[in-house]
Amino acid sequence: MTAYRALEPGRAGRAVRIVLLSIASIVTIFPFYAMVVLSLKPVAAVEFPGSLLPWPLATGAYERVLGGGDLPLWTLNTLIYSVVSVVLVLLLASLAGYAFAKKRFPGKETMFWSFLAMVMVPYHVTLIPLFVLVANAGGVDTFWGLIVPTLANAQAVFLMRQFIGALPDELFEAARLDGASELTIFVRIVLPLCKPILATLGLFVFLWHWNDFLWPLIVGQSTGMRTLTVGIASLQEQNVPLNVVLAGATVAFVPIFAAYLVGQRYLTEGVTMSGIKG
Amino acid sequence: MTVTAEARPRRVTARRRSAGARYEARWGLAFVLPCFLLFLAFRFGPAVVGTLLGFFEYTVGDSPTFVGLDNFQRMLHDPLFWQALKVTVIYTVLYLPLSVGVSVGLALLVRRSFRGVRLFRSIFFLPVITSLVLAATIFTWLFSSSGPLGELIGDSWLASPVLVIPALVIVSVWSRFGYGMLIVLARLQDLPRELEEAALSDGAGPWQRFRYVVLPQLRSAIFFLAVIETTNSFQVFDLVYVMTSGGPGRSSYTLVMDLYDQGFKYFDLGYASALGVALFVLTLFVALIQRLLIGRAK
Repeated sequence: MTAYRALEPGRAGRAVRIVLLSIASIVTIFPFYAMVVLSLKPVAAVEFPGSLLPWPLATGAYERVLGGGDLPLWTLNTLIYSVVSVVLVLLLASLAGYAFAKKRFPGKETMFWSFLAMVMVPYHVTLIPLFVLVANAGGVDTFWGLIVPTLANAQAVFLMRQFIGALPDELFEAARLDGASELTIFVRIVLPLCKPILATLGLFVFLWHWNDFLWPLIVGQSTGMRTLTVGIASLQEQNVPLNVVLAGATVAFVPIFAAYLVGQRYLTEGVTMSGIKG
Repeated sequence: MTVTAEARPRRVTARRRSAGARYEARWGLAFVLPCFLLFLAFRFGPAVVGTLLGFFEYTVGDSPTFVGLDNFQRMLHDPLFWQALKVTVIYTVLYLPLSVGVSVGLALLVRRSFRGVRLFRSIFFLPVITSLVLAATIFTWLFSSSGPLGELIGDSWLASPVLVIPALVIVSVWSRFGYGMLIVLARLQDLPRELEEAALSDGAGPWQRFRYVVLPQLRSAIFFLAVIETTNSFQVFDLVYVMTSGGPGRSSYTLVMDLYDQGFKYFDLGYASALGVALFVLTLFVALIQRLLIGRAK
């Protein structure tokens, strides 16, 4: 116990630690602060350093971005893209993860290894054929073209398999002896037991889709099919005033921040337990 | 587990078990196939086709013609490809040590529990969940001549052919270090205390304890991180697209920017696919070198 305490920093060490951490925190938060403050400026006042003072404030940018324009539509698009994907990815991955973890069937090893092998292949190798495939099927500028190709998520399948594999077989056997059908077992037993991992995975899938850029950029070619990331990038390109772009960015950030406040524990545990990609 | 269950002599139920096995196989397939078919159609298939397309000339609305290694030869003679490769490599070489260093440093600082440690950890993870497009939007201003970082050097970073890559690296580190910190932190918290305590009672100072006791045990975490972050930085796109479009000139033109332009601007899909293959080979090659280097450091 004394040795353990000796590993703790002394008074000077603690002071250095708190100073370093405070500096790092300020550096981390500063861009968010700048984003919000600049979005609340009247157009003219974007010169440094006056621009970073929290006065005078004006909500003109928000009125412009929320009142007219495409931002509300982009928000809706992003919401549809993210929420539908979360539900379907979780459903597909938990079904597949359950089968990989607990069932014997022909081709199991081959299928599992092909999932595993694809993790090494960069997404961009698949990008061109994926686009050709979706374009030929008439999927450009449609929600299904945006969503369907993102649903088979190998990382989600691994996580579900890993989690379900650790559950004791007796739970399923008992229900099977009671005459429960396979679907009933999945819905009544597997899914409820998976709640924690589903929460973690759901948050990550939500984030991946909410923040996704390249795929929506390629598939959503008309203004009306843009997601928030693509829309905000397009505002930036069109030299829309900075405060308006940043007001849009702030609006896009709010749901992410809210999700973080609610589910932070699930997110950080997801990273530390399984190295899930942030 | 299964071995003992199999070994139990239960001949009577053998036939029932085979019926049961068929039932199980049917349901197993039914559960796995929706996901696997989507995977075949939208991941595996396109990856195979993408690799093959690298050997074809193909543009939208045209049928592909086999051209052998033409695309790859063209790539080797294309100054734009070499520029993109150079930018990507410089970017990765700057990014990797900086991001791993910051991650390890902060993980060490938030390793022990003290008042407020959870708050610091939460703050550091915030950029990880923020989209790169948002990060790019705000950092574009911070680095511009009217932003504080631009003010620091009296000019816009993004307009300078020299400073544009460091600027992108800074944004990347900002957005990713919280992830690396958590990976390293998880490993740090698993380390047994005894070794460090022994080193301490042998009179080792903090740096010696870190260098000779802690760091060797972090090797696997750092390797994991290095592979992930190398792959990420070889594929850097969002930041470049929003902040510089590859400019000024081609000073920040990366491989995926090249792939995107060839594929979706010029619709030269065969050549773009060949670039994808090159990217894949490079990623594997670098992962292999890292494996060898870290393996030898033992």
